[in-house]
Amino acid sequence: MPEPKPEPVLDRLVHEPGRLAILTVLSSVTNADFVFLQRATGLTKGNLSSHLAKLEEAGLVAIEKRFVRKKPNTNIALTKVGRARITEHWAQLDSIRRLSEPSP
Amino acid sequence: MVERTKLEAAAANYTYLRGLFLIPLGVLPIVSALGNTGWGPLRNTWVFLAILALIGIACLPINSFYNKHYGTLRASTGQQARAAAAVVLAIAVVVAGSTLLRSRASWSLDLPVNATAVTLALVILLSYAAGRVLKIHHLIIWGTVLATGAIPLWDGGDPSNVGLAIVGVALMVNGVFDHRLFVRTFGAPAGGQGDSARA
Repeated sequence: MPEPKPEPVLDRLVHEPGRLAILTVLSSVTNADFVFLQRATGLTKGNLSSHLAKLEEAGLVAIEKRFVRKKPNTNIALTKVGRARITEHWAQLDSIRRLSEPSP
Repeated sequence: MVERTKLEAAAANYTYLRGLFLIPLGVLPIVSALGNTGWGPLRNTWVFLAILALIGIACLPINSFYNKHYGTLRASTGQQARAAAAVVLAIAVVVAGSTLLRSRASWSLDLPVNATAVTLALVILLSYAAGRVLKIHHLIIWGTVLATGAIPLWDGGDPSNVGLAIVGVALMVNGVFDHRLFVRTFGAPAGGQGDSARA
């Protein structure tokens, strides 16, 4: 008898909509700055900052603070772990979606 | 609900739809066409070079505007590879297309078409398609340029300068539509966006 497939388990840290949006945008670039992430995700500055802090703490993003033409600029990139986690998370969501579809 | 496709397309939209750049860039083919025909002061090479420098200078505040209000990013390796492949393909299309359609080469079909308009329209459509940002207005604008160039009514003298002028105007119109779409996608610039990350 074939072993039943393990049920997909969602990553709570990644699944929160704001953080999922941030990680999804970052998965399509090498790196991006704070302003672009804010524009692309539609999050407020405060929300984006707080989500980024949580993601950095978990090692999913790397944040570099620098000055560009004497103005502060925050550059964000996915870490290897972050890239793996977001890829895995979307795969899990896809498998859940497939499970919910009626079989032919 | 997080829209995955829309979020993943943000980087490509940012890279390709900063349409204000196309307005000064659209001047370049028009000036080239006028220079080729020896029109007015453009018959002097230095005037052309000065205009070229002005076009470059005009792009600086546009770059600052987009960076200040919409941020910056570095494209993914895949996107950079697609852009590089599109450039190589574009060069091949321009060289092969213009020689094949209408040229002095012995193997040219020598058709009564505007090879400049046809090949450049194809190249621009190709570059948007390679960036995965091909929109309906691109198809309308460049489809019109392509169709205009392909109408077999371009007998007589060399129509390449008219082709360049058409492409210049089309670039500017395309730029306006791209920028409008950019603003609809990322929001209006009013109020500006500061970098005050506390992360």
